[in-house]
Amino acid sequence: MDIDLNSDDLHFQKSVRQFLSDNSYVAGNDYSEWRLNWFRLARDQGGWDVPKWPEKFGGPGWTPTQHYIWEQETARAQTPWDLPFGLSMLAPVLMNYGSEEQQQRFLPDIRDRKVNWCQGYSEPNAGSDLANLKTKAELSADGSHYVVNGTKIWTTLAHIADWIFCLTRTDDSGKKQDGITFLLIPMKQAGIEVKPIITLGGAHSVNMVHLTDVKVPVENRVGEEGKAWTYAKGLLAHERTGLAGISRSLVALEKLRKQAGSVTRGNGSLLDDPSYRLKVAELEVELMATEFTELRSLASAAAGAEPGPESSILKLKGTEIQQRLQKLTVEAGGIYSAAWGATPVGHTFAHGGMSGYLASRAYTIYGGASEVQRDVIAKNVLGLKK
Amino acid sequence: MNFDLSPEQQLLSDSVERFITDQYPLDQRQLTVLSEQGFSSEHWQTMAELGWLGASIPEQYQGFGGTQADTMVLMEQLGKGLVLEPFFASAVLAASALKYGGNEAQQSHWLPQIADGSKQLSLAYAEQQGRFDLHDVLTRAEAGDQGFVLNGRKSMVLHAASADALIVSARTTGAQTEKAGIDLFVVDTQADGVTIHDFPTVDGLRAAEIEFTNVVVAAENKLACPEGGFTALNRVAIDGILALAAEAVGAMEVLYKDTVAYTQEREQFDRPLSDFQVLQHRMVDMFMEYEQCKSMLYRATLEVVQQGDAAQRTVHALKYLIGKNGIFIGENAVQLHGGMGMTEELRVAHYFKRLLVIDAQFGNHDYHLAQFAG
Repeated sequence: MDIDLNSDDLHFQKSVRQFLSDNSYVAGNDYSEWRLNWFRLARDQGGWDVPKWPEKFGGPGWTPTQHYIWEQETARAQTPWDLPFGLSMLAPVLMNYGSEEQQQRFLPDIRDRKVNWCQGYSEPNAGSDLANLKTKAELSADGSHYVVNGTKIWTTLAHIADWIFCLTRTDDSGKKQDGITFLLIPMKQAGIEVKPIITLGGAHSVNMVHLTDVKVPVENRVGEEGKAWTYAKGLLAHERTGLAGISRSLVALEKLRKQAGSVTRGNGSLLDDPSYRLKVAELEVELMATEFTELRSLASAAAGAEPGPESSILKLKGTEIQQRLQKLTVEAGGIYSAAWGATPVGHTFAHGGMSGYLASRAYTIYGGASEVQRDVIAKNVLGLKK
Repeated sequence: MNFDLSPEQQLLSDSVERFITDQYPLDQRQLTVLSEQGFSSEHWQTMAELGWLGASIPEQYQGFGGTQADTMVLMEQLGKGLVLEPFFASAVLAASALKYGGNEAQQSHWLPQIADGSKQLSLAYAEQQGRFDLHDVLTRAEAGDQGFVLNGRKSMVLHAASADALIVSARTTGAQTEKAGIDLFVVDTQADGVTIHDFPTVDGLRAAEIEFTNVVVAAENKLACPEGGFTALNRVAIDGILALAAEAVGAMEVLYKDTVAYTQEREQFDRPLSDFQVLQHRMVDMFMEYEQCKSMLYRATLEVVQQGDAAQRTVHALKYLIGKNGIFIGENAVQLHGGMGMTEELRVAHYFKRLLVIDAQFGNHDYHLAQFAG
């Protein structure tokens, strides 16, 4: 047992630090030019622009420990914004189940951050019970295309997306997990209508997407007709470790301490208030434990073992921690967290605090609600049947 | 980075596990609890012969020279058996006190005897007015012609009645709560002026309230403690907390697994209890809190092995977490066993009792959270 990084890992850590500090954004420069250039330079390092992609598709082929180092270092550095939909959600499906032609057609644009994707999974009557989805795809008589009709909901960034990857129903005669088909559909066409949903934080990031008689060529179907449930499930397994966000939460906790320390209270600061201080302490302990739960999971992956039972708890614990951080930020901001105008009032950090906190309630709902995660652990880890 | 046990640790873990499975059935344990001594001399001998009592004692003193990580492996398995023998008091607390405070002569006198089980020691550090503060010490040791004269009271001393000697914290100088001026003394339990009031604790173990009245302690029985008595005592407490936490993690594992098994067997409303989602989610929470404790145990243990008492803050975090989560898991194990959980017939009750006591030893969860918060 040891917690040291070996010399290869230390060398890697050094080169990551070097890269991140050499290529940080300089205020005043053109942001989007810097962003695209950053990804090009990362690519030249040997696939650092697509850390999680397999080597066969141009990824860096890192060990689990190297992934951990990358997460730790990028959490502290300024890196360009990025979206997971094409890069981490669609790409693995294409790599595993797509045709070679589809891989060549879609992966390069995803990698170059040229095309924005959104995910068409949830429907008004298919949330946690995703297999209940009803969006219908009917194959044309000549077999050349599908005609798609239905409604998708909670579609993040559908309003800026170029494409949507969609789960559709091609057969409803068997059990509901069968007869689901994976289609790739361009967004900018007649028959697709995007309606914004403003969430309780006041932000517009999710949408309702109506599809009416949308024609999708059969070459846009990924894998076999009716088999997409398996593909989507494989994808969820791929996502599992990405959602804990431990490194980012550790950075956020440091920030929270500084912010709370800047809030005056009598002759001291908010951190001198025992009840607030103990809440921060409780959160830090939870974070320290979860960090090691993640390391245990990484170490068993590094040894080539199947992810142990400890990995199953990361999404649950990680998202709870992120929510508690938001909550403590709101508490630190006091009444100023309520202000929502264009100009900050009171503590600068508090600006939009409540809005951010409200938005964070989604963390334990998306990607499989916490209750669904508990069902999965009960069944797969504890062996309790549903 | 690697969390696997070394081949030696794996062997150690397997051998303790076998001992617990073969020789530590609950009904036998409950009979031993009622015996005069409160533990089995035969088991004690086995622990010596298998080298467990010397696991953390340096090789030159007939031990195996292990670290806190080796003690962790041992204690986690002992925790699964609710072991009654004074392993923790003698082979962890007293051995650590001698390792951190003893000079060459003191170590070479006591450590081999702890390792071979011929002497059983304990640590007398707590005083009622001090609650959980190690540095709140009223017991005084006055220097005199024949060495030192001890006067005062020590509280909740584990297995004191069966011990040959106690390591006692006492003040040679300074005021009640000063860290300076505390020293450690090895005191023979048979010495004149030592009165031991023995009693059982709720977990089936033994403890004692002890009075020292003009007890004469030879100068060579004052531990050398080159960095001061408090520093040594604090290091002992760190080792103690790590060992208790490992024991607690072993007990928590039994509790959540027993609960999973019981709810699958027990039928109500024409189906197994484990079919009910509300119970499934409770068990998932028990499982998660167990895993979090295990992670924190690894973290604190490995940090202490590397950094010593510089890792104190992580040790506070650990004691807080295992105290809080141990009670959570224990309460829910009883709840999910229903009426049967309230009986002494099933083992869950006994593990729960041990976890309750562990929370209160060396500072409870509130105390350590406050220490952690600073």
